[in-house]
Amino acid sequence: MNLVILYLLLLKAVTTSFSGMSSLPVVRQDLVETHRVLTDRELSTAIAAGRIGPGPNGLYVVSVGYFVAGWPGAVAGLLALITPAFLIIPLMKWGARYAGVPRIRAAIHAVILASAGLLISASIPLTRDAAAGPLTIGIIAASFTVLMFTKVESWWVMIGAAIVGLAPVLFR
Amino acid sequence: MAAPKLRELTGIFLKIGNTTFGGGIPTIAALQRELVDRRGWLSPEDYGLAFALARITPGTNVIAFCAAVGSRIKGVPGAFAGALSETVPSAALAVLFTVSYESWRVDPLVMGAVAGIIAAVAGMMWTSVWSLVKPFMGGAAHALRCLVFTGGAFLAIWRLGLTPLPIIALAAAAGFLWREPAK
Repeated sequence: MNLVILYLLLLKAVTTSFSGMSSLPVVRQDLVETHRVLTDRELSTAIAAGRIGPGPNGLYVVSVGYFVAGWPGAVAGLLALITPAFLIIPLMKWGARYAGVPRIRAAIHAVILASAGLLISASIPLTRDAAAGPLTIGIIAASFTVLMFTKVESWWVMIGAAIVGLAPVLFR
Repeated sequence: MAAPKLRELTGIFLKIGNTTFGGGIPTIAALQRELVDRRGWLSPEDYGLAFALARITPGTNVIAFCAAVGSRIKGVPGAFAGALSETVPSAALAVLFTVSYESWRVDPLVMGAVAGIIAAVAGMMWTSVWSLVKPFMGGAAHALRCLVFTGGAFLAIWRLGLTPLPIIALAAAAGFLWREPAK
């Protein structure tokens, strides 16, 4: 498949979605059903590979690009993934210009508070999934305590947690 | 606080964007801690603006968020630094995972480390909730706003199953109409 067409199809999928995985139905429709350059098996492998690593959820689009056209396809997928993000630059300029108006500021504050509510709803299932046993519950509590009450860089907490996570595998 | 160099900003995005598992929201939470709480490169207002606008930008929220935060701190080069350093290394990793998925998935060492990181991320999320709400907690009138907006948004998504977009829009409209009490 032509790389430009691959880019445009993936761009369409990404642009019509507002969160990482909601582009999936469009990707499947275009690449699996209409153009037949991807199998369902490859699509689900792409999703899994995007999930076990770090980074944004939408990354599976890069793996999809790889399945369709190798590394150049992966680059097309990456470009499709980040292109719409730049729309936010004019939005930020516009937002910052009016942020001094009290009512606009009150609206922004309300959105910050609402986003905390959305964050709680995202944190509950994540915490539930992560708490698989005494060790992981301990890591959750330790991470919360360290990050809440110290200024330690988050990165060290992640590295430490990875090492602690290895312990039960190594010392079985 | 002095504005950071582009290289320093890129370093933060590389570190946070590519070591935080669990998708966009944990990454946004970690960036909040590094950029707002620890370094003061970004005000809580700008953070809130970037968060809200990232929600209404098409595509993956966290990438738009990184572009917004980068542009606020370092202009258009900052936006590119944000979007690219958030995605390039983890995208390369995702392709490598794709190539070797079947063997990685059964490797207990890899899965053990991933389980540890996911647990640390879960702990971090709750500190992030607190630092979002904390600046608005002074006095009863402010606490009431916190309760209404944070609690309302939580119930709207958790109980009513609304999607984030209408919740953010409703909160913005209600916040516009309901005057903030003086500090």
